[in-house]
Amino acid sequence: MFPSIDRAKPGLQKLIRTLRETYPYASVLAVADDTRNWRISRTGIDISTLDMLGGTGFVVRVFDGTGCAEYSFNEFSEDKIPTICSTMAQRLAEQDAALEGFTALPTPIPADEPAVLKKETTWKVHPRELGDEAIVNKIAALREKALAVDERILDARAVVSYQAYRKLFLSEHRDLDQTVMYTNAALAVMASRGEEIKVAFHPASMLGGAELLDEMDASVEQTALDVLALLDSQPIPPGEYDCICDPETTGMIVHEAFGHGVEMDMFVKDRALAKDSIGEYVASPLVTMHDGSAVDESATMFFDDEGTLTGDTVIIDRGVLERGMCDALSAARLGAVPTGNGRRESYERKAYTRMTNTYFQGGDSTPEEMIASIQDGLLLEAPSSGMEDPKNWGIQCMVTTAKEIKDGKLTGKIYSPIVLTGYVPDLLKSVSMMSKTPELSGCGMCGKGHKEWVKVSDGGPYMKAHIRLG
Amino acid sequence: MIDRIQSALARCGISMWRINETVEETAELFFVRKELDTRRTKDVRKYEVTVFRDVDGQPGGEPTRGSTSVKLISAMDDGQIDEELRGAYYAAQFASNPYFELTDPTTAPMIEKTGELAGAPLAQSAGKMARALFAPDQHEDAFINSAELFVSRSAQRILSSEGTDVAYTDAKVSGEFVVQCKQPEDVEIHNDFEYGELDEQALSDKVAEALTFVRDRARAQRILKSGRYDLVLSGNAVVEMLSYYVDRSSAFMVYGHYSTWQNGDDAQGEADGERLSLTLQATQPYSAEGIPMADLPLLDSGKLLAYHGPNRFCRYLGVKPTGSYEKVSCANGTVPFEELKKGPCLWAVTFSDFQLDVMSGHFGGEIRLAYLIEDGKVTPVTGGSVNGSILEAQKDLTFSTQRYVTAKYDGPYAMRLKDVSIAGPGE
Repeated sequence: MFPSIDRAKPGLQKLIRTLRETYPYASVLAVADDTRNWRISRTGIDISTLDMLGGTGFVVRVFDGTGCAEYSFNEFSEDKIPTICSTMAQRLAEQDAALEGFTALPTPIPADEPAVLKKETTWKVHPRELGDEAIVNKIAALREKALAVDERILDARAVVSYQAYRKLFLSEHRDLDQTVMYTNAALAVMASRGEEIKVAFHPASMLGGAELLDEMDASVEQTALDVLALLDSQPIPPGEYDCICDPETTGMIVHEAFGHGVEMDMFVKDRALAKDSIGEYVASPLVTMHDGSAVDESATMFFDDEGTLTGDTVIIDRGVLERGMCDALSAARLGAVPTGNGRRESYERKAYTRMTNTYFQGGDSTPEEMIASIQDGLLLEAPSSGMEDPKNWGIQCMVTTAKEIKDGKLTGKIYSPIVLTGYVPDLLKSVSMMSKTPELSGCGMCGKGHKEWVKVSDGGPYMKAHIRLG
Repeated sequence: MIDRIQSALARCGISMWRINETVEETAELFFVRKELDTRRTKDVRKYEVTVFRDVDGQPGGEPTRGSTSVKLISAMDDGQIDEELRGAYYAAQFASNPYFELTDPTTAPMIEKTGELAGAPLAQSAGKMARALFAPDQHEDAFINSAELFVSRSAQRILSSEGTDVAYTDAKVSGEFVVQCKQPEDVEIHNDFEYGELDEQALSDKVAEALTFVRDRARAQRILKSGRYDLVLSGNAVVEMLSYYVDRSSAFMVYGHYSTWQNGDDAQGEADGERLSLTLQATQPYSAEGIPMADLPLLDSGKLLAYHGPNRFCRYLGVKPTGSYEKVSCANGTVPFEELKKGPCLWAVTFSDFQLDVMSGHFGGEIRLAYLIEDGKVTPVTGGSVNGSILEAQKDLTFSTQRYVTAKYDGPYAMRLKDVSIAGPGE
């Protein structure tokens, strides 16, 4: 796949050699990608490319006398090498002149240990081979099935999308090549209560292809029933509750409440409370947290966008914060080891420390035992959004549904929507039960602050904790 | 490249199409405190082609029209371009929707943005804005922790099979900065900005205000009790609240029956407070579809005046396509801000992420800094969350006479909502 990368490679190797004549470090990341999105709803059928993902182009990184500098472009051939080099040199000179008086953040040049790799992920059915007609028919069938559940359903929107990409990372000592494909799908079912439209959402994701669509059918009826139940929901009285989080809600807490706080570029900026908590208990001993590519999900990769090989990073080990996750530049500044978390929204954007597949490990309880253990509490389901606060470990997470539990049983009463708030370590230290099997979901995109969107997955098991809700 | 794409379209027998060409150059600066973290620059040229295809013989016999878009780059050879376009044209027959007329043709000379930002070297503009950014950062107690600055210049060209050929240039400066105060509690507040001009003073003013807020957040107490409060929102939270009316009046939402609003309807419902008057503002001469953009009055005293949106959905509703807007202005504002926030009330200044769900009307967010104002006393508080519904709140809104202007908004700085549920950390 992506023969344009093969064609460009000799020229890119020459570009690195040429840049190295001027700069003590030079690397290039070449990206080629292929996306398509199929969507059906009451507003019609839409087939398009995905705007938020990737793109095809190149980014060069060098170190000069000032520090780290990058140049992104999307037109390359060997005869353009002199122009690329002179453009970089001229722009850096202009920028340095305009910034006279500013100093550079001291940054050792990251290690460039030799590595060669060429790998690709696998899939059973490439969406393009399945074809547009078959995919539209499949999502149309999902939609019709949802609409047929109840006449109160206003609409059902079914979406499937995939991204296949090939990335080539070249430096003086590295030659890394990976091809990855993941597929996402989702069904959103809507019902109205006057002007208020309730939405139930079922996501699905996998490292793979259109075979994902076969998993969607089983969830259609339940998603439709979920939205009908929301029509009878009530606002929740603010307060602290014993809660069971479903795996998706656990995943949002893992990702938003804690994960962003251990992205080590935040340590460089003194923006993360976690920096001072390495080696300390930050969670219940039941909590072990991982990030990386040891699992197959939407964010699995063999190396990151700075040419660091990926693996499995244990962030929290039985309640103790072991380490953060780190990009290459931050690792150089902190004297740490990069963990393969240097990721870009696209070749056009800067690399930051970003999560990949992030999750809590399973425990030894069953969801049934966990619900039975609650005298007066809630089952939290269907997270909708969250926002990080690494500096102060404040929580902002929103979920769609809180199901009332009384005397160990679901009563059928539903509250919606729900805002989770509070202090992260308080929540994590209150974790008292975990179910056995973590489940990951990779349909979402993760922003850094309010931008820099990358594909991630997160999850965990059912988790019992004490949480402030509003 | 445009000639190559047009030739390929002809070779592939595609008679209805639109080409969007985007050329962008940037200068980007990243700072940790006042030290340079990374410098970046970018040169990209992108092409997106949308192909349309009519399909006969659909159930009911009605004509249908489908479309698909693909992205092309100049590195593709002619064979690859043909393959992509043929694939898109094939797919378009399965994206068939009720028939609609394509965008009306428009031809005009290139519209060039003028001004210092559009004309000066990007590096020079970035340097000026960097100095403006750090100008108020002169004290030890509260400071800029980190910042990102993007200066970009772009050119758009839109061509279509119907005869559209328009182009314009744009320039903007955008970014974000985090302010930090370490005593008595170590806290930060995130801020972002976007300007269409080289507005150094606006950026310096924003930083100065943010430094004041972060000092207050550092001494804010976690004492807010759960309950119902009159809530004052300001700045971008007001913009987020008003997005409900912009989105609900979009042709997409009306056509999809997600919104029941009809032209002439009272979109705000019965209300004791101020009646909303909104105008959508054109920030570019043409939409992505090549529709000439003009300011569009949207609400007048709560009454819906227009639908808005892309070509297809406006055609379906039988209204003139307007293009998609990115800026709204609000004419409301009857009370000076000092009076608006007279107690008892909670002025929520910053959130971790304040959001309004346009489908449900629910709004909420975790409070990073708020001022609890009661009995003539102003107490900075932090923690807790807002959980409200605009369907209830819109019945009694009051807006400040003080204005707030950004790249996406021009209107009152603050609004007051009555009786909103707050979950607080206080006992």
